[in-house]
This record gives sequence, C-alpha cells and structure tokens, in this order.
Amino acid sequence: MTFTERMRRHFPWMTLLAALLVVGITDIRFLLPENLVGLASDIVPLFIMAEGMTLVIYIGGIDLSSQSVANMATVLTTLGLPALGVGSGGAVALAGLAFGAASGLVTTRWKVPSFISTLAVGGIALSVAQFASGQRALHMDAEMRRQAFGWMLGRTMGVPHELLIALALGAIAWFVQTRMTAGRIFKAIGTAEPVAVASGVRVGRYKILAFALSGMFAAIAGVMFSVRLSGGSPTLAEGFLLPAIVAVLVGGTPLTGGVGGVLNTLIGALIVAVVRASMLYLNIPATGQQIFFGLVLITAIATTIDRTKMRVVK
Amino acid sequence: MAPHISGETIRRWIPLLVLLGLVLFFTTLNPHFLSVRNFARIAISATPALMVAVGVTFVILMGSIDLSMEGTIAVAAVVFALILNRLGGSVMGMGCLAIPGALAAGAALGAINGLIHVKLKIPSFMASLSLGFVGVGLALLITGGDRILIADPVFRSLLTVRLGGFPLMTYVALFCLVVAWFIQANTTTGRNFYAIGGGEELARGSGLNVGRLRIIAFVIAGIFYALGAILAVARLGIAETETGRNFMFISITSVVVGGTALAGGSGGVWNTLIGVLIVNVIGNGMVVIGLPDYFQDGMLGLLVISAVYLSMDRRAFSFVK
Repeated sequence: MTFTERMRRHFPWMTLLAALLVVGITDIRFLLPENLVGLASDIVPLFIMAEGMTLVIYIGGIDLSSQSVANMATVLTTLGLPALGVGSGGAVALAGLAFGAASGLVTTRWKVPSFISTLAVGGIALSVAQFASGQRALHMDAEMRRQAFGWMLGRTMGVPHELLIALALGAIAWFVQTRMTAGRIFKAIGTAEPVAVASGVRVGRYKILAFALSGMFAAIAGVMFSVRLSGGSPTLAEGFLLPAIVAVLVGGTPLTGGVGGVLNTLIGALIVAVVRASMLYLNIPATGQQIFFGLVLITAIATTIDRTKMRVVK
Repeated sequence: MAPHISGETIRRWIPLLVLLGLVLFFTTLNPHFLSVRNFARIAISATPALMVAVGVTFVILMGSIDLSMEGTIAVAAVVFALILNRLGGSVMGMGCLAIPGALAAGAALGAINGLIHVKLKIPSFMASLSLGFVGVGLALLITGGDRILIADPVFRSLLTVRLGGFPLMTYVALFCLVVAWFIQANTTTGRNFYAIGGGEELARGSGLNVGRLRIIAFVIAGIFYALGAILAVARLGIAETETGRNFMFISITSVVVGGTALAGGSGGVWNTLIGVLIVNVIGNGMVVIGLPDYFQDGMLGLLVISAVYLSMDRRAFSFVK
C-alpha cells in the first residue's frame, strides 16, 4: 500500500477535525459541548437515512428512493397515530422495508439498474404519500403525540433521546455490517460481485436485504422527522437526498462499494452537520448550500471511487 | 421476398401499438378524449418534456445517463428570463438575445457535466445528479427564490397563437425534433453515439475519440434542455427554480418507454416522441376519466420498471448494479 492509500482511511475524521477547528477559531463558542450535542441531534433523521443508504452503496448500488420513502413515512405516521399509537412508527418502518425490498427485487430479478429502479419505487412512494395525505400538510394531535412518541423527545443527562436512538440504530447497522454473515457478504458483493456469485453466495437475496434495510432506515428517519415536526406532508423530507448521499461518500464509502461502512457514515454525517452550521457562522447564504454540497459530492466521488473496478465508465 | 414478421420487428413497433391502444382505451372510456381540443392540451403539456427527453436520448444512446436536467432547465429558464427582461422585455428587440443566452447556459452546463464525467471518470448518473443539485442551487442563488414573470405578448404567442388547433410551440418543438433526427441519422457524430452505445471498447478500438464524443453528447443534451426550458417558460409565463421540477422522472421514463434501451445502442429520437406521447396520453387520460393527477408519479414508476424490464436483453448481463 502506498502512503496515500494508507492515509485515505484517515481522511474523513481528519476532515471532521479540521472543519471543527476552522469554525472553532472563528467562534470558540461553537465548540461548547451543548452546541455540539445540539448540532448532532439536529441531523438525526439525516444520519439514519444515510446509514441505510450506506448499506446499498456498500454493495455497489445506489438508493435514490430514500427521500420519497421518508416523505411517505411522515404522512403515514401522522395518519396512523390516532389508531395505532406508537405502533404506527413500527408499521411505517415495515412499509419502508417493503418498499426497499421492492427496489431490491426489481434490481436483482429484473436486472434494472438500481438508480432507475429506486427512482421508480420512489415515484410510487411519492404517489402513496400524496394519495394518503390528499396533498395536504397533516398535523399530529399534541396529546397523542406525547403519549405515543414522548419518549423520543426528552433528554437524559443533557443528551437528547433522539441522539441515543440514532446511535442505537447506528450500532445495529454496524453490528449487521461487521458481526453478521449478511454484512460479510455485503462486503464480498461490493468488492467483487462476480466472485461472490462464483463462490455460491445467493447474491440476489443479500442485495434485496440491503435495499430493504435502506428502505426501513429511510422510513424510520421519516418517522422521527414527523414526530419532531409534529406532522407530515408529501414534501416534508425534501432536501434530504443530497446531504444523505454526501454523508455516505464524504465518510469514505466509495460509490464502487466494498470499503467504508456505517461507522464512516457517522463521521460523514457529522461533517455535513459541521459544514451546514459553519455556513451560518461564516454568513454564507443558505441558497449557496446546495451548490456547495453538490460540488463536495463530485469531489468526494472523484477522490474515493475505485477505478480498477470499472473498465468502462458509463 | 415473402414478407415475414420477426420478433425483432414486433418489438420495434410495440411502443407505437401501445400508444394507439391507449388512445383507443381512453376514447372508449370518454369520447371527449378524442378531440382536437384535448389533443392540443396533450401537445402543450408534452412539448417541453419532448425537448428534454430528446436531449437525454443522445446520452442514453451511448449507454450513459443524464440526471441533471432539473438543474439545467432551472438555470436556462432563469437566464432566459433575466436577459429578456433586462434587454427591453420583448423578443422582437434586443431581447431576442435571451434565446441564444439560454441555449449557451444549457450548453455550458452540459459541457461541465460531460467534462466531470469523462475527465474525472465518475459514472454519469452520479456526476449528472450532483451537477443537477448544483444547477438548482445556482438558479436559486440567481433568483433568490423569486418568480420572474414574462409578459411579452410576442413570446407568449408560442402558447396563445394557434395554427390548425395546435399552439405555435408544438411546431417549434417538431422542428427541433427534426433537427435532432438529422443529428442522429445524418451526421458522423450522431452515428458515433450508436457506435459507443453498441460497444464502447469496439468503438474505441476503431479509433473513435470516445471521451470527446461523450462530452459532445452532453452538450447537445444541455442545449435541448435549454429549449425545453424556453418552451416551459412560454407555457407558464413564469421562470423560477421550480421550472425544472419533475422533468427528470418524466423525460427518462419517456425515453425508456419509447423503446430506447438504457444499455445504449438502439432506439432514437422518434422512439422518444412516441414515449413522450405515451406518458402524456396516460397523464391526460387519467385526468379525463377522473383519476386524481397525483397517481402520475406512481404510474411513471411502474411504467419505467416494466419498460426497462421488457427492453433489456438480459442474456447480455451477468450482473447489474
């Protein structure tokens, strides 16, 4: 391994540190623990969505449906709350799992490239959201919300519960990735899919699993977002897709898959959070954010992608 | 020679048969569907999408994909409106510079897109998706989120003046379609797009400058997105960041439904015309028979999945990412 290759693994956390330092120099209050905790809990839904997406990118695919699935989740959670209470969250997570599995099925069984299949499934999710909501913004009843989801909103010793939930979900994803057969097979698929096929792995099943988990995480992100904002609408999670993909790639999981993983995305999401907050501190207009993240995405892909896996770049 | 119909011939004509079938289907459900007035309505909604879909056809013919249209359209529309309003507000005077201005903006974004894809060796779907986000951000930065109104009656005549029942913009779009067909069928560049889509390594082996051709395709696509943007502005009289909304999904679905394979090398702009018509006839027909329009996204999703499924030669793929 050359020096750059060895260093590449460390780029993400060094970027995070450098970004923190740059903003910290401008305003030392930025580095106060409560500010940092607030920063982290702000991006909880984004982080959860990015964790799911990591699994799909890890196997060399992409999930463009996450934002639409999250939109649908906000609507369905709000609608389900009166009848199912906290169960609406669980039901919506299962719906997300089903939508993700559908993307996976279409990709593996019908050989439709994942960026198209997830775009299509995302369109279906969006239609469901618009149909269910009647194209209106819905609101949760305050009392029902407190009874069913109050546990999500409090703080324990200054740490918001949302943050703890996010870390728990991250831990689950990490456990799947590193300690379970599925995770090892994800790595095999991402590293060299033909080899995995030749070794007798049922690659199709595991790819469907990765897409299904991604859909479920996106739905959970939607549930938490709708609880936070106390409502749902088919456009509530608009603007999540770009930062979520950025978090995965900046964290160091390349588009070609096989390396990186859910811990990298934790770092990546924190980088996104710091960059977002620093734009406020440095007085960069919010409209500039999208341009900036778009350019960061291109840079991140260009520097992390493994070109030995692609003879022809299409 | 005795005429015989091979499977390949049938497959080529399926999109047209589907279109005719749909027209018949909606006409039996509601006879009002089959009227010049309703067809004009379909034409108005289809023309901007047709330009965008024709643009992306060139890219898909090479086996690549372009997802940047929403950003490019937003930028081109906003640039068009700003130049027009700054230079007198009428396309009859200096304001006519707005048209080349918008086309140049589209071409420039297409060139950047192609350069990023080719020079940085990033898969086109991701390079163009990122650039699409940048484009939307750019349009937002230019307008500050405001809508720009276009009141010029000469420019709006694209929509308001009708010839044979159809507004002028339909004829403009058809003319551009013929230009696109000329590029595709009668220029070396156009033929080379097919060569790249048919087998890139073979094309490279035959001495084609594949990288340069790819960039050219993205530039052509960008110009057609700008044309789509101008027509979209003519339709609504408003230029804003939202002008590009939904065009990505609709145009890609149209191209694929028309029978241009995502793998590249087959299909073309006439297929895209059929595809755009299929998508818009379904959209219009759903409204005519009384279904709410928000089923459209889901319908597009199902359409694109089934079209890709039916069009792909799956023997050629060992695995798909």
